[in-house]
Amino acid sequence: MHQSQLASRLSLLVAAFAGLFLIFGLTTWQTLEQVRVKGPIYEEIILGKDLIADILPPPQYIIESYLLTLQLIDETDPTQISQSVEVGARLRVDYEARQEFWKRELENDAMGDLMTVTSYRSAMEFFRLRDEQYVPAIRAGERDRARSILAQMRRHYEAHRLAIVQVVELAEKRNAEFERSAEDVVGSRSLTFLVLATAILMVVGFMALYAQRSARELSRRIHLAADIAHRVASGDLATEVPVSDERDEAGRLLKAIGAMTQSLRALVTRAKQASIELMSTATQFAATSRQQEATVQSFGASTNEIAAAVKQISATSAELLSTMEGVNIVAGQTADLAEDGQNGLRNLDSTMERLAQAANTMAARLAAIREEAAEITGVVTTISKVADQTNLLSINAAIEAEKAGEQGLGFLVLAREIRRLADQTAVATLDIEQMVKQMQSAVSAGVMEIDRFAEEVRSGVGNVVRVGGQFGQIISGVKTLSERFDAVNHGMRSQSQGARQIGEAMGQMIDGARQTSVSLREFNSATESLRDAVAVLKQEISLFNVGSDR
Amino acid sequence: MLALAFDVGELRLALAATCVVEVLHRRELRPLALAPHGVVGLLPFRGSLTPVVDLCQLLLGRNCAPLRSSRLIVLTLPHRERPRLIGLLAENVVDLIDGKRTMPGLRLPNVPWLGDHLADQPELPQLVDPLQLLPDELASLFVEEANG
Repeated sequence: MHQSQLASRLSLLVAAFAGLFLIFGLTTWQTLEQVRVKGPIYEEIILGKDLIADILPPPQYIIESYLLTLQLIDETDPTQISQSVEVGARLRVDYEARQEFWKRELENDAMGDLMTVTSYRSAMEFFRLRDEQYVPAIRAGERDRARSILAQMRRHYEAHRLAIVQVVELAEKRNAEFERSAEDVVGSRSLTFLVLATAILMVVGFMALYAQRSARELSRRIHLAADIAHRVASGDLATEVPVSDERDEAGRLLKAIGAMTQSLRALVTRAKQASIELMSTATQFAATSRQQEATVQSFGASTNEIAAAVKQISATSAELLSTMEGVNIVAGQTADLAEDGQNGLRNLDSTMERLAQAANTMAARLAAIREEAAEITGVVTTISKVADQTNLLSINAAIEAEKAGEQGLGFLVLAREIRRLADQTAVATLDIEQMVKQMQSAVSAGVMEIDRFAEEVRSGVGNVVRVGGQFGQIISGVKTLSERFDAVNHGMRSQSQGARQIGEAMGQMIDGARQTSVSLREFNSATESLRDAVAVLKQEISLFNVGSDR
Repeated sequence: MLALAFDVGELRLALAATCVVEVLHRRELRPLALAPHGVVGLLPFRGSLTPVVDLCQLLLGRNCAPLRSSRLIVLTLPHRERPRLIGLLAENVVDLIDGKRTMPGLRLPNVPWLGDHLADQPELPQLVDPLQLLPDELASLFVEEANG
C-alpha cells in the first residue's frame, strides 16, 4: 500500500514534468516561427527602416550638399548665403559623425574600403574646397572663380557618387546572402528540435520506470527497518539485522539500526551486570555503615577520654605555671645572692692582696733573722775555737805542771781552773749553738710556712678571681634563665589556653560524632532503599531478551 | 797522779800524764806508702818525724771522728838508750783526771796494754800501758827510719 503510494507519486511527478516540458517546447517553436528572418516581425521592422530611408536625405550620400552649393552660385542675398553655409556646415558634421560610426562597424573588406576610404576621401576634398575657396569666393561675389571651383568640386562629387553606388550594390548582394543563410539555419534547427524532443520524451519514460523500481526497493527496506525497530521496542534485542552492502540512505539506516541494537544489547548486558554489582555494593555499604557506626561510637568514647586527659593537662600546666613562677622568684633571689657574693669576693680579693703583701714582708724579715743567726753561729764558732784552744793549753799546762812536781802544784790548780772555764765556755757555746740551730730551723720552718702561706694566698687570689667570674656567670646565667622562665611561662600559659581550646574542640568533636552516628543511621536506611531500588532495576532489566547471556 | 782521759769509740781510756809530751790539734800528716795496720802518717814534731797511730783504726777498724775534740797525743816511751816518740790519734781528748786510786780490771791475754781502772771517775777509765800498745819491731823500725 505504502510502496504503490510512493511509486504513483513519483509517476505523477514525472508525468507533470513531461507535460510542462512539451508545453515549453511548443511555445519556443511558435516564438521562433514568429521572430525568424522573413517572418512577420522581421518584415515589419524592415518596412519601417525602408520608410525612413526613403524619406530622409542620406547623410553618407552628399547629394544635398552638392545641391546647396549649386543653389549658392546664383545667390546674392548675404543672409541667405549665411543660412546656406550654416546648413552646409551642419551636413558636414552629420556626415563625419556617421562616417565615424561606419568606420567602427564595417569590416576591413572591399565594401568597407569603398565606404570609409574612397568615398570619404572624395567627400572630404569636396567639403574642403567648399569651405576654404568656394564659400569665400561667393561671399566676395567673385562668380567666375566660384564657377571654376565648382567644376573642381563636381569632379570630387562624381568620384564620391561612383563609390557610393558600388557600396550599395555590394550591400544588397550581402543582404540577399544573409537572408538565404537564415532560412537554411531555421530549417535545419527545426529538424534538430524534433529529434531532441523525441529523445527527451524517451528519457522521461525511462526515468518514470526507474523511479518506480527504486521506490519499491526503498520502501521494502524501510519496511524491514520499521519491523526491526518494532521488535526492539517490544524488548526483543536478539533480532539479527541482515547485512547489506548498499550504501544509500536505507542501507545506512539498516546498518544504524543494527549498530543500535547491538549497542542496546551490550548496554542492557552491562546494566544487568552493573545491577548485580550494585546489589553487592549496596550490601557492602550496609555492612560498612554498620561498622562505621560502631567505630563512631567507640570514637565518641575515645574523645570523652581525650577530653578528660586534656582537662588533666590543663590543670597540670596551670600547676606547672605556678611552680615556674616560684622557681622564677627563687632564681631572682639566687641572682641577688650571687651579686652579694661577688661584692664580698671583691672585698676578699683586696684583703687577700694585703695578706700576700704582709706575707712577703714577713718572709723578708725572717730572711734577715736567718742572716743574723748565721752571724751568731760564726761568733759562736770563734768562741768555741777559743775555748778549745784554751782547753788544750790548760791540758798541756797541767801536764807540764805535773811534770814539775811540787813546784808545779799551784800552776796545776790554775790550769785546772782555766780548763774548767774553757769547758763551761764550750758548754755555753754548745748551748748557744743549739739555740741558734733551733732558731734557724724555726726560722726556716717559718719561712717555709710563710712561703706556703703566700702561695696559698696567691692561689686564693686566683680562686677568688675565678669564683668572681663564676659568680658573674651565675648572675648572667640566672638572668638568661629568668628570660627563659618568662618564655616558658608564656609557653605554659599558651599551652594551658591550647589545652582549654582542645577541650572545647573535643566537645565539638563529640557532638560531631553524635551527629555522624545519626547520619549513619540515616545512611543505613538510604542503603536499604538503594537495595530495594536495585532489586526493582534487576527485575526490569530481566524483561530484556539479549539472547545467550554474555 | 794525773791522767789524760780519752775515748776510742765507746771505750773510756786514760794515759798517765807523765808520759805525755804534748796534746796537739789534729792536723795534716805526711802520708806513708804501704804503712802497717793502724799507722796513718808521719808527724813532724820537734825536729823529728813521729809515726802516728789511729787508735780507732787500730782497735775498731774505722777512722777517728772528724771533731775538734779528736786530738793528737804525743807520747814518749822509754826505750834502751833514749826514749821514743809516738803519736796517738784518739777521740774526746779534753780532760785531765785525778788517777790516785786504781782498781784492777779484767786482764785479757790478747790485750796486754789495758791496765787498771781509775776508781774516782764515774766512767771508770782504764789505764793504757803505752809500752804494750805497739809491737816493738814496728815502733823501732819507724823510729830508726825517722832518725836515719
